[in-house]
Amino acid sequence: MIECHGLQWGAGGRALTPPLDLQLTAGSLTAVIGSNGSGKSSLLKVIAGLDRPLAGKITCEVPLMGGVAYLPQQQHVDRQFPIRLAELVSAGLWRSRLGRSEKRIRLHKVLSDWGLLDLQSQGLHALSGGELQRALLARLSLTDARVLLLDEPEAALDDVGLRLLWQHIERWQREGRTLVLVSHNLAGLSHHNCDGLLVARSGCIKAPIRQFADERQRLGLVA
Amino acid sequence: MTPDILWAPFSEFAFMRRALFGSVTLACSAGPLGVFLILRRMSLMGDAIAHGILPGAALAFWLFGLSLPALTAGGLVAGLGMAGAAAWITRRTGLREDASLAALYPISLASGVLLLGLAGRKLDLLHLLFGSALAVDTPTLYGMLGTAGFSLLVLMLIYRALALDSLDPLFLRSVSRYGALAHAAFLTLVVLNLVIGFQAIGALMVVGLMMLPAAAARFWSRRLLILLPLAALIGAVCVWLGLLLSFYANLPSGPCIVLLAGFFYLFSVVAGPVHGLLRSTSFPMTV
Repeated sequence: MIECHGLQWGAGGRALTPPLDLQLTAGSLTAVIGSNGSGKSSLLKVIAGLDRPLAGKITCEVPLMGGVAYLPQQQHVDRQFPIRLAELVSAGLWRSRLGRSEKRIRLHKVLSDWGLLDLQSQGLHALSGGELQRALLARLSLTDARVLLLDEPEAALDDVGLRLLWQHIERWQREGRTLVLVSHNLAGLSHHNCDGLLVARSGCIKAPIRQFADERQRLGLVA
Repeated sequence: MTPDILWAPFSEFAFMRRALFGSVTLACSAGPLGVFLILRRMSLMGDAIAHGILPGAALAFWLFGLSLPALTAGGLVAGLGMAGAAAWITRRTGLREDASLAALYPISLASGVLLLGLAGRKLDLLHLLFGSALAVDTPTLYGMLGTAGFSLLVLMLIYRALALDSLDPLFLRSVSRYGALAHAAFLTLVVLNLVIGFQAIGALMVVGLMMLPAAAARFWSRRLLILLPLAALIGAVCVWLGLLLSFYANLPSGPCIVLLAGFFYLFSVVAGPVHGLLRSTSFPMTV
């Protein structure tokens, strides 16, 4: 689904890691892990086409626009913007060609799936961090993208939100979508069947996530 | 106050009707643009661009005299040039956009004043900066109507992209290529409104008509779809009452309009239901 060849990314023209070769197949789930500043979010933005790589090439079987959906971190969203939660979520239908009533039905279902029906008329300013995160995930759910790139999707979610998130991630995998997520929750990830991609200055390593969980001390992923 | 007092000057004098129609339509397009300027944290940009159009207008005046198309084209090129130069400096050097605008607009203002001096002909700088709504002639009125209609039409077309670009630019960039185009179109509309407005009520006064109703509206609603028409309505009412005040008290029209908008803004700060001083129980987050 996605292939990276000799990919290098970073800020100010300085690469954060040695060149990365990576293959992500349809239905795969890859968790990008690493310390702060290692370039996890930057890698996601490069794959999403939001930033240019310093070197290398990314090939993707689906078109970037519409085929790849991106969940930004919460701080990129203006919490004081004067719209309601339902309007924020409905932006996920940006590229949809459905009719108005079908869009309304899909929106209602997604709001229900993420436990947001009671909050749909709330302004963004009135939402908690966890509620806003669920709204952003609901917006992502509305896209028909085959590749989902999630930057810290677990941020601010409570136990109910986390359960909903992982139910959706498993469903998206069953549908054959390719998922890449950035996470700091190595312990939580190890309960799920996914690959890990450790991003570090010395180089990137891809392996089953449980392997990283077992060796996190040696890899410097805990204090 | 009887209805006759509220309408008599406009039914009696054609210049008052032209001033009313022109300025009301301008308020209807400038207000919503002001709402988006605030939401995009570009509130001071209008002021900077209003100064930025001066050298273009002065050069056009020097070469062509008081010609509406020449002044419009000159102002438009200079305004867009300054906004573009500020964006370019920001992109290439990392200097914040407000800083590069703040650095460029005194240069524009000084160049404009110098060009007016070199032109050697008499064009009152005060007229250019503060204008006179009562001096709106028929071609200028058509220019204002056309600009307002065009602005509202384009704003309707780019509304969704502009709103999502203000709310969550990264998400918009992941679903659409039109974010940058919407931003460029929006800036063009801001410059166009300032250019046509500076000929009618003055470069600095039109900034007031753009920003004050928009800032006041924010104290009355939390919904974008209400804020946009509300800012237009506040601006239109201030134009109407401001022209009446100017007529009956024999005062300059531009400052009357903008000061009324200013009074309504201060009233909104105190009494507005959304974070107004009388309603607030705690210090709100910055909007």
